[in-house]
Amino acid sequence: MALHSAVKGKLISVIGDEDTCVGFLLGGVGEINKNRHPNFMVVDKNTAVSEIEDCFKRFIKRDDIDIILINQNIAEIIRHVVDSHNSPIPAILEIPSKDHPYDSSKDSILRRAKGMFNPDEMN
Amino acid sequence: MNEHTENIDNICATLDKLTIDSLILMQEEIELKLIAENAMIGGETHLAKSRYILGQNNVSSIQLPTENSPEFRALTTIDLSIDEFGLHQFSLESKKPDNENYINPIKWFGYLTPQNLSFAQNLYRQALQWIIQAANIQCKLKETCKQINQLKQIKYIINKENK
Repeated sequence: MALHSAVKGKLISVIGDEDTCVGFLLGGVGEINKNRHPNFMVVDKNTAVSEIEDCFKRFIKRDDIDIILINQNIAEIIRHVVDSHNSPIPAILEIPSKDHPYDSSKDSILRRAKGMFNPDEMN
Repeated sequence: MNEHTENIDNICATLDKLTIDSLILMQEEIELKLIAENAMIGGETHLAKSRYILGQNNVSSIQLPTENSPEFRALTTIDLSIDEFGLHQFSLESKKPDNENYINPIKWFGYLTPQNLSFAQNLYRQALQWIIQAANIQCKLKETCKQINQLKQIKYIINKENK
């Protein structure tokens, strides 16, 4: 398949619990840029919802980030913000965490896709 | 009237195909995320073993760089390309550490790290590969859903005009 254009060197950002952030940063996705802005956020039980929301919105606005990985249980907390993001870039991927296995019924994109199979919608 | 029926039949046939496509894509995305989950569980186990060897607080978010840390670049980045159908496709690109701009993250945890930390690193890298594939499938799924919605609207308009 012919690829028409390519943009190189974009970042993957992570919003997750300690193990998710330590793991993926160990995998090499972490970066501190010239403005001293990290591309990750460790969320613990003391993190305020507003902080998570602000961080998520900041990552969406950054043009050097193409994928946002977010633990599904954290995405649940800021579901209204996650659901309101419609553009393809950055792509938001809900990933499982240590204490919360992956549940496809909670996934924003899959829920939207499943919603299309509503019998009323098919007519 | 015949032309109208033919148009509706064509739209319905395309809708059927797209619906099956979207179901297949949903299945693929779920499977990829479950494979990534398995790799992450393996990584978490090795992180736990490393904590047992190095101490609870020596493999934690305390070792991660903060806003006050020196600037460094990501070893793993993504290349974004757009294929002939206008779909976004991601691919992973890894750089080799040079100890200046590109630092091996394992060094944040000390210079004599247990082998388990390297195993965890490899497993999280594998998880990233699966997650990028899931991201590509998610892009296709979004596009398919968009096409289904557009066709439904066309079908609605045609039906309305011919009532």
